[in-house]
Amino acid sequence: MRLPRLVRTTPFRLTLLFLALFAAAASAFLGYIYIATAGEASRAADAAILREAHSLEAVYRQGGFNGLNDAVIERSSSTRGFLYLVMDEQGAPISGDIAKPPIAHPPDTNTWASFGLTQTEPDGSSARHPARGFEERLPGGELLFVGADVGEAQGYVLKIVNALWGAAALVIVLGLAGGVFVARDVSRNMNALTDVINAARLGDLGARARVRGAGDELDELAAGLNDMLERLEKSIGGLRHAGDAIAHDLRSPLTRLRARMEAALIEAEAGRGDPVAALHQALDDADGVLKTFGAVLAIARLEAAAAAPDQTRFDPCELAAGVAELYEPVSEEKGLDFDAELAAGLSLRGNHGFIAQALANLLDNAVKYTPAGGAVMLRVRRRASGDIEFSVTDTGPGVAEADRERVVERFVRLENSRNAPGAGLGLSLVAAVARAHGGRLELDEGPGCFDGKGPGLRTALVLPAA
Amino acid sequence: MRLLIVEDDVEASDAMARGLAEAGHDCIVAPDGEKGLLAAHDGRFDVMIVDRMMPRIDGVAMVELLRKDGDQTPVLFLSALGEISHRVEGLKAGGDDYLVKPYAFAELIARVEALARRRETGSVQTLLRVGELEMDLIGREVRRKGQEIDLQPREFQLLEFLMRHAGQSVTRTMLLERVWEYHFDPQTNVIDVHISRLRSKIDKGFDRPMLQTVRGAGYRLEA
Repeated sequence: MRLPRLVRTTPFRLTLLFLALFAAAASAFLGYIYIATAGEASRAADAAILREAHSLEAVYRQGGFNGLNDAVIERSSSTRGFLYLVMDEQGAPISGDIAKPPIAHPPDTNTWASFGLTQTEPDGSSARHPARGFEERLPGGELLFVGADVGEAQGYVLKIVNALWGAAALVIVLGLAGGVFVARDVSRNMNALTDVINAARLGDLGARARVRGAGDELDELAAGLNDMLERLEKSIGGLRHAGDAIAHDLRSPLTRLRARMEAALIEAEAGRGDPVAALHQALDDADGVLKTFGAVLAIARLEAAAAAPDQTRFDPCELAAGVAELYEPVSEEKGLDFDAELAAGLSLRGNHGFIAQALANLLDNAVKYTPAGGAVMLRVRRRASGDIEFSVTDTGPGVAEADRERVVERFVRLENSRNAPGAGLGLSLVAAVARAHGGRLELDEGPGCFDGKGPGLRTALVLPAA
Repeated sequence: MRLLIVEDDVEASDAMARGLAEAGHDCIVAPDGEKGLLAAHDGRFDVMIVDRMMPRIDGVAMVELLRKDGDQTPVLFLSALGEISHRVEGLKAGGDDYLVKPYAFAELIARVEALARRRETGSVQTLLRVGELEMDLIGREVRRKGQEIDLQPREFQLLEFLMRHAGQSVTRTMLLERVWEYHFDPQTNVIDVHISRLRSKIDKGFDRPMLQTVRGAGYRLEA
């Protein structure tokens, strides 16, 4: 049998558990109160009965049987609250205020007895009260019984116990109601999350959970879920975009390659042309396609990984110096003024190879797009925020502000760079490396326009120093 | 040279064997790690070219088994997996070099020949000599025809690598990997500029150029 959904919820189950614990504790508590109050009351009543019996014994010793008889008759009519019965040796009643001895067979020794006492109330009805008494044989052989109506004391205890049971019942009812309320509230919030998860499972990655602003663990869960969906959506969108871009960007060189080979084949069959040169050209084309493919794959791998793989700790300036050393001859040959400004004593954790490649891509772009006579500046420093910044500033044509975001996307090449070599993946890779290290790629204007140069571009790979 | 090619892609191994035979090498082809192990036990090879991912016994396991048996034949791993961790895995298993697919044939030949050469020069050298060129590895000095040549540290490393592989083609990727220890492909031909600087130092003023460009492959230092 399946329980109703509400009953199966965690908050409701927890409520039930706590109620059960509470009921157990309350029972123990009631038991203790009962024993403490009821036991105390009956002990006090017994002591009073014994005292009364002793005082009557004293009367008997002084005034003999007649004195006792007189005292019992006198005390029966007073309001001392005791029950008396004086009997002869055989147990036949002689005097007192109860008709029948409550203890059937006259005992030889002192005996206690509990019994019910039927009493006629002032309004004529009769009620049965619990009573208790003590019977003893006097030195002359007569029997004396002294008892008391304990109904009042026990009734008092009973009232307390009933009140406590009532309170317990009230607590249980309120607790159950509270449990239902809490379970409903929590399950409403949980349902919202479940709905989002179900939507995502069915392919709608745009659904987002509502963060109520309470700052509780449900909000944390909702925020975490949203963040996860955000990343998932981005990475799937990225993959889709990459797929389109690869199809687009690989199709044209492949088409070109195919056309060239076909033309070369036709020429060769006709006994004209240079088949060897055509094969060389085809090889170059194929290499270009493979290079593009490799770059796209590297970016996709970086984006798929939560964090860059194989991270080590190293000195970012040593890394920058190595890459600068690699590019210095190229920029000098192109007639550029190349300079590096590396702050010492920094430390960075990351994938050395990827960061070196990212920095190489930035330098590559700067050297490629800066006309002769210009300058390229590489700088590594720690920002006030503690982040490590690798920046490359050039005096090339720069990138218009409107294009800066676009230029980082895969395969985007600006119109004026069509003739420069490259597949338009350099900055995308830098951005992917930055993201895989929890950092970012920044693009700004360079030093500005002067001497017909500029305004230049400043690219910065900013990585958190962890 | 006798070469063992262990590769499950028959078309790829065929093309490879044809190309290597054209270059004057004797090739045996095995289609998986198990047959590769058998072939390796049977014949003496100068270099083994081993694909990483193969049915039955994969390349890494195969080379590990070979090394356990005391076979020290140089191994060049071929793999579509090119991350640093993959390279490290291959080299730890006992591989001597690691080439990521797809590769240019010139790259493969250059690396195979470099591996075969490495085996010959086992002892630690303090002096390298190629024709008129002399390199003192302890004093960090280079002379051509007794005339001292002043080199930057990186140029010294570059020349050392070329001298150790004198007479062989070395590719730009090999230089980048061995001299600079970078495993990426710079878009601009940065290596060419380094080479041309080195060339101007060791060849300028001498009647015969030693550092030559090999079309479609890379560079070669000739005695």
